This record gives sequence, structure tokens and C-alpha cells, in this order.
Amino acid sequence: MEMSSEDRGRHGALLYESQDAYREFAVPFLSEGLEVGEGAIVAHTRPGLAMMREALGSDAAHVTFVDVSSAYTRPARTLASYHQVYVEQLGKSPSLRVVADVQFGLDPAEWDLWTAYEAVFNRSFEHLPAWVVCTYNANGTPDPIIDGVWRTHPEVHAGDAWHTSDRFEDPDELLGELTPEPRPLSGLRSIGFGRDLEEFRDGLARVLAAEKVSDTTVLDMLLAATEIAENAIEHGGGVADVRVGHADGRFVCEVVDRGEGFDDPTAGYLAPRLGVGRGLWVARQLTWRLEFFAAPDGFTARIWL
Amino acid sequence: MPSDRLTPRQEHDLVIGAEAGDADASRKLVEAFLPAIVGVAAHFPTAVRVERQELVQEGVAGLLFAARRYDTSLETPFWAYASFWVRKSMQELVAELARPVALSDRAVRGLALLGRARSEYLQAHGSEPTDGELSRATGLTRTQIESLQATQRRPRALEEPLDGAAEAVATVGDTIVDPVAEREYEQVLDEIEIDEVRDLADELDARERRVLRAHYGLGEPVQTLSQIGGRLGLTAERARQIEVGALQKLRERISRAAPVRANV
Repeated sequence: MEMSSEDRGRHGALLYESQDAYREFAVPFLSEGLEVGEGAIVAHTRPGLAMMREALGSDAAHVTFVDVSSAYTRPARTLASYHQVYVEQLGKSPSLRVVADVQFGLDPAEWDLWTAYEAVFNRSFEHLPAWVVCTYNANGTPDPIIDGVWRTHPEVHAGDAWHTSDRFEDPDELLGELTPEPRPLSGLRSIGFGRDLEEFRDGLARVLAAEKVSDTTVLDMLLAATEIAENAIEHGGGVADVRVGHADGRFVCEVVDRGEGFDDPTAGYLAPRLGVGRGLWVARQLTWRLEFFAAPDGFTARIWL
Repeated sequence: MPSDRLTPRQEHDLVIGAEAGDADASRKLVEAFLPAIVGVAAHFPTAVRVERQELVQEGVAGLLFAARRYDTSLETPFWAYASFWVRKSMQELVAELARPVALSDRAVRGLALLGRARSEYLQAHGSEPTDGELSRATGLTRTQIESLQATQRRPRALEEPLDGAAEAVATVGDTIVDPVAEREYEQVLDEIEIDEVRDLADELDARERRVLRAHYGLGEPVQTLSQIGGRLGLTAERARQIEVGALQKLRERISRAAPVRANV
């Protein structure tokens, strides 16, 4: 069945309990798409990719294989990595099907972070003609993660059938619920903005050099901070202050503007498209974390390096 | 098992440095946790033969991945967090090696041809043919013969006797310098490639890189746009335009939209 306009941003999940079950789903799913000219992507660890290369047979020559062993570092970077692959594939085919094995990790302290990633995934690529199935090995996966799968995917393939998830939650609301409130930081010092973006970058570069931040990271930070500052100028009535310092061992930079700010948990997570600004998408990829909050002295964007 | 070579603060700083792509921090982090990784590899359960060095290398990759993912503000100690990814990397290597080598039809035919030629030579001469004799008999090149034979070769295990005898006096393992026993961590570290994070500046042309590096002091003393322009034979304004253009190029590279067709 050729993908229709209703299939844009289709995001499902597969809960599998054996490699056979994974193959029995993934091979027909991808082959059906290939038959009608869709692109196909398999994202898995190296053993999983080897298994799928064999299982797909001659179809494997038409599939893009992505090693995810090192992909799931931070949600924004993972989204960007997948987006890069989708961009390349959509340059060759009008639509695509993806099976992606999620590398969740077993530390409970980070489950909310990756559940939030799955929630925002629904929105990140909603504009793309792509049917993405996130795959989870249900054996040995903790119940809270499985519960998170049902909360973040409108449809889940379990057993031998697709099920509409009655636990699926609105992505924006779930993302907001799972995003921790920024905590107050003390010890940051004001460095001011300067007359323009160039002076702002000059001043920030001097601070970063004094902190002995690596050259690679300096450029990342200057680019990210420029995006934040441009946002503040264009949408926030101008930059009121810039503060820098350290917290949790990381370099922190706050850009305070004069505007009312926004309350959008998806800010910076939406893959580039018409009508959506790209500045925060860029900034999220280049930094450890971005936080946005209203403060007594203005709306604040906090960059963690 | 935390690293006894680092204070918590040092560990914390190295993890953050490694996450940011600092190659020196990555190397020091690996150096500090290499004993722990080697310890995991030494007791790693595996039903297939795999070189311990390979397991350690995979473990290092797992450690560095963990460093890029680990949130230092959380309470979980770094090794408690990273050891999961170290073991997972090793598991993936073992799973990969446990898979039978998938041969093409052509390779299968080549092996059959080699097998027949070897059998015929043995019957005719009573001895094993050399690669040269196999090449003449089959028409395959020596390189092709070596490649085909490699697919049939299993990796030798550390415990395997050197001379094939039931009671060997030495094993393969005895001939391999044990980097742990001889504390040759430096040798091990040298052999483990630590991939440096690609510098964003690699996306730029040489002049753009020069302007950015010089203006922001990246690996060299800070210069004003006037100084930069002077060295390049340009005005300060032209140098500024190059800088703005470079930043815009990087922005567009990172934020490239997907080519969505309107008729889908």
C-alpha cells in the first residue's frame, strides 16, 4: 500500500520477544514499501543489521542500514541524526519506512528523558512522508519503559497485530510533564550583550577562552548562543542581559530578553520545515541542554555546555 | 568498580570533557577505566572464541559512548552507569562473531572448486597442495584462494595448544604479551583509536576557517577583524562578511530540511 498523505509522520512501535518475531515483522514491512518505490531504513546495532541484511536477501541492496550503537546520546542529537538520514533518503524516494531499535538504557534516572524523546518524536517528523516503527525487545525491558512505549506511540504492534494505544498521551503535554523545571542557579555573573551580535560573540569567546573550553566546543557554543540571541532580538524585544558561570561542572550561559517569552516544550525539537524557525533546532544539537523560563528580570534561555 | 586513579571531581571533569569531544579528556578517561574494562572482558561469558583485545576495544567504545550520554547531575556513579554500556558493546561483538559468515553464491562455488582440487591433488600426490598448485588447478588467483580459506578459519583462542597436542606445554596465550600483567596500558591505549568528534569547522573552506579561528582565538591568539583582513589582503568589513557567511553556512548545514515532495 503506497503511503498516502495521511501517513505523514506515522509513528508506531513494535514490541518483540524474539529475533524471529522482529524479522517476521520488519522484513514484510520494509519489503512492501520497497515494492511501491518507498525508501527503507533499518536502524539497529551491528548484530541486528547483520541479521536484517541476511533476512532481506536481494532487497538489502535497496535498504539504508544505520548503526545506532553510538546514536542515542542526547535526544536532540538523536533526532538530528535520524533527520540527517531521512533527508538523504527522501532525496531518493518520495516516502520511506523505517524500523529503528531504540537503545533505552537501564538506568531509571534517565527513563523520563528518553520517554520524552519518544513523545516529541511524534512532533519532530510529523511533516515527513515517513512511517517509523520504533522497535523494543520486550524481553528484559523494565515495565516502566514498556509503559512509556504505549504512552508515546499511537499504535503498537504486539503479538501479531497492530493495536491502537488507549494510553497514548498528547506529545506536547507529556513532554511538558517529563521536562524538569529549571532550578535557580547562583553564582552566574553578568557580562552584558554589547552593541550587537558581533560584540556579543567577541565577549563570549573571551570568556570561553578564559575557561579553557576546547576549540571545537567554543565554535559550537558561539553558534548556539548566536541563535539564542537572534531569537531574543527578533521575538523578545532585545537582549537585556547575558550571564555566565558554572553549574554541575558545566559552563552555563543565560540570555535574558525583554519579551513575554513562550511556553512550548517542543521548542527546538521540531525538524526543519516551512513555518518553523530553525534556530533552536540548531542550538539544541550543539549544546548539552537548553532551558527556557520566565524569571523576575526577563524571559531566560539557559544554555548548558 | 570505580577508577582508583581519579578523584570524583577529576572523573566528573573528564566525563564532561569527553562528552564535549576533547580527545585528551577521552584518552585520560579510557586510561583511568581500562583496568575495569579489562576486568569485565576477562570474565565475559562467551560461547564463541573472541580475542580479549577485541573485547577490550569494544568495551572502550562502550565507555566513550556512556560518557557522551551520562548526565553528571544525576546520582548514579559513572562506572555504575558506564559498565552497562561496556558490557553491551562486548555483547554486540560476541553476537556479531557468533553469526556464521554469509557467503555469496560465487564464494560458495569457489570453495567447492578449491575443495575438489585439494581432494584430487591429495589422491594423486599423497600430500597437501600449496597455494600455487591450487591456483594452477582451479584458475583462481592466490589472493582469491587466501580470501576463501580465511572464511573457513576460526580465530585461535588463548587457551588453544600451540602444537595441537593434547598436553601442550605452552598455549597461544603464553606467546601474547599480556598488557595488563606487564602494565603496558600505553600500548593498549595506543592501539585503541579514540575517534575525535568532527569539528564543525571542517564544514568550512580554508579562508572561512582561518577567519573564525583567528577572530575567536581557536588554537591561536585572538585577532581583530582588521588584523585578520590585513593578513588575508582584505578589508575588515570583508573579513566580517566572511565570518557571517561562515556562521550562516554552518547553520544551514545543521538545519537542512528534508526535500518533501508536494504531491505525496
